[in-house]
Amino acid sequence: MTDTRSPDTATLLDIYRKATLIKTADDRFIELIKAGQIASPYYSPRGQELVPSAISANLRADDYVITTYRGIHDQLAKGIPLKPFVAEFMGRATGTCKGKGGPMHITHLESGLPVTTGVVGSGLPIANGLAWAALLKKTGQVTVVNFGDGASNIGAFHEALNLASVWNLPVVFVCQNNGYAEHTKYEYGTGARAIVDRAIGYGMHGIQCNGNDVVEMWSAAREAIERARNGQGPTLLEARTFRFRGHLLGDDGHYISKEIMDAAVAADPMPALRSWLMEQGHATEEQLQAIENDNREQFEEAVQFGLNSPYPDVSELARDVFAEEAGV
Amino acid sequence: MATEILLPKLGFSVNEALLTEWLVADGATVSKGDILYALESEKSVQEIEAPADGTLRILKEAGETYDVGTVIGELL
Amino acid sequence: MSEVKKKRMNMSQAINLAMHDAMALDEAVITLGEDIADREGGGVFKCTAGLSEAFGTDRVKSTPIAEQAIMGAAVGAALAGMRPVAEIMLMNFITVAMDQVVNHAAKLRFMTGGQTNVPLTIRTTTGAGFGTGGQHADYLEAWFAHTAGMKVVAPSNPADAYGLLLSCIFDDDPCLFIEGLPLYFAMGDAPVQGERIPLGKARIARPGSHVTVVSYSRTMVEVMQVAQELEKQDISVEVIDLRTISPLDMDTILDSVAKTGRLVVAHEAQVDFGVGAEIATRVHKELFGRLKAPVGRVGAARSPVPFSKALEDEFIPTKRRITDAVLETLK
Repeated sequence: MTDTRSPDTATLLDIYRKATLIKTADDRFIELIKAGQIASPYYSPRGQELVPSAISANLRADDYVITTYRGIHDQLAKGIPLKPFVAEFMGRATGTCKGKGGPMHITHLESGLPVTTGVVGSGLPIANGLAWAALLKKTGQVTVVNFGDGASNIGAFHEALNLASVWNLPVVFVCQNNGYAEHTKYEYGTGARAIVDRAIGYGMHGIQCNGNDVVEMWSAAREAIERARNGQGPTLLEARTFRFRGHLLGDDGHYISKEIMDAAVAADPMPALRSWLMEQGHATEEQLQAIENDNREQFEEAVQFGLNSPYPDVSELARDVFAEEAGV
Repeated sequence: MATEILLPKLGFSVNEALLTEWLVADGATVSKGDILYALESEKSVQEIEAPADGTLRILKEAGETYDVGTVIGELL
Repeated sequence: MSEVKKKRMNMSQAINLAMHDAMALDEAVITLGEDIADREGGGVFKCTAGLSEAFGTDRVKSTPIAEQAIMGAAVGAALAGMRPVAEIMLMNFITVAMDQVVNHAAKLRFMTGGQTNVPLTIRTTTGAGFGTGGQHADYLEAWFAHTAGMKVVAPSNPADAYGLLLSCIFDDDPCLFIEGLPLYFAMGDAPVQGERIPLGKARIARPGSHVTVVSYSRTMVEVMQVAQELEKQDISVEVIDLRTISPLDMDTILDSVAKTGRLVVAHEAQVDFGVGAEIATRVHKELFGRLKAPVGRVGAARSPVPFSKALEDEFIPTKRRITDAVLETLK
């Protein structure tokens, strides 16, 4: 049944705020890395901003979001506080994880970000556990787990989808299909016509949507999240999107053809969304600029906070290995 | 106040990179964001932008490999 | 809590009792694994018999054959505040779930700077002697003892299994609880109900004065028999049952070896790069100059577990090899 509800203006502007915050963060992180002020492998989500921004507009604060090393968009959309977020990227003691996890393991429990994983596919089995616990505690929480097209080929994906289906768990498996698994184009690595086709194989509801279209993404997310919350079980949600900055910063993108890149640039969802919001009367130029400026200011405050924060003391190596301090 | 130009980490297992060439002359004035130098690491050659406005003072010669974090120049 | 009616029980029954008691005590204790619910028989070694009937199939769940899914679900539930007990039917199959154990369960507390922790327990079975061959009988504890963030426990008798399993379940860190297959059937004293045995504390199973033998799990059976036999030759062997492999109770070991001056470590796992190597090194360092002999190690042969009984019987640390190692320290 087609649901004709659409996101209202307030929702759209919230989505826009998150999407532009993500882009601001991405641009700024890259500047900081090139200036030598952050030393870390960096996985840019540029091009995928709308996916989590639209998804998060349908989530409760206490819903769980799991993501991966290419996860700043998912984390920012979920509402992670900026200062400890940036500080963690800089390896400071004031980071979300005291500098001990770094960008690939950003965690902020209060924001509903209980785990970020650096191993492809590993978040999916973990999502099942969070969802199982939510059922036992009767909290109504939904668990959203994000991963890429590449992850849909690893064993953990298959085991997790099957189990979620058999146990009817409140999980939304969001495959952010950006067309490339590291340097391997979709067609050269994936046997399925489309990732959503795999839903049938697991007896699961499947949705495919254009992840770069705000209304489509919002609607698809709403459908999947409501199903989970209403006890209708898991959904495999394939959101088609694109990533502009390669797998890892430093990647020269030689494996992406010029035609594909040019087409993607022409279809960049961010300027498209900006124009559309104004055309549809949801916002004026001034309102959008105010949102963008506000994001830049807040992010800059977080950057300065991070740069001025201390590094963790070496004694932190002995802490948080076990419940008691190490001495094993 | 001078801004140090630090050699960045661009790549996964990179701890050093080749400063292939300075794309601006020593003593030239640059604006933040202008392309300053070219860096070759693990997988690619990247062009790196100036982190601030200023007059460039080159401290390390092109054609050599330096550790990540090396101060290769300053913007005064 | 269900009452302990018997004065003697076997390890499968002791584990079952611990599971019942833990689940009755705390709603957060849940369990999952292949065939563990009563509809599927209550576990292949009956360790989970009666649990799903008592506590329901929301808390006691049979799973598909999918170790990554099992372990990941346990990790996720633990992150959400539950105390999951994941059964991995045979220890060799834990290799299928290594990513979830080593990259996640062991590391999340540290990587999150202490925001989250993973209070899960992995119950698993292993042990040679049943002709199950090279992929169903390995003792892999050294891999997990080598992983910062994991605790590794190996009971040798029913009462210890009960007390240690309770401690693992209520420990706030990921614990690997290793059940020796032949030990399931051997009768022993029943536990004191409700009594937990602290992790990281070894037990002097038999006091002695000439040589210390440290062991754990199934090998304790052979070691105790050897000690008894050597007594007749006036050789007094002090036997230490480690009970917990990691964290190691070095105090108990060092006190004993400081007294005897001689140590042999015996375990069913491979000798090379094993738990014995770690203990030997620490003892050599702490008691250098006070040892009467170098530390001896006894373990499985350096090969995969063989099938043929003629080979398998020699693969496992035999009483003869344990005896020889003890006598070697007395030369």
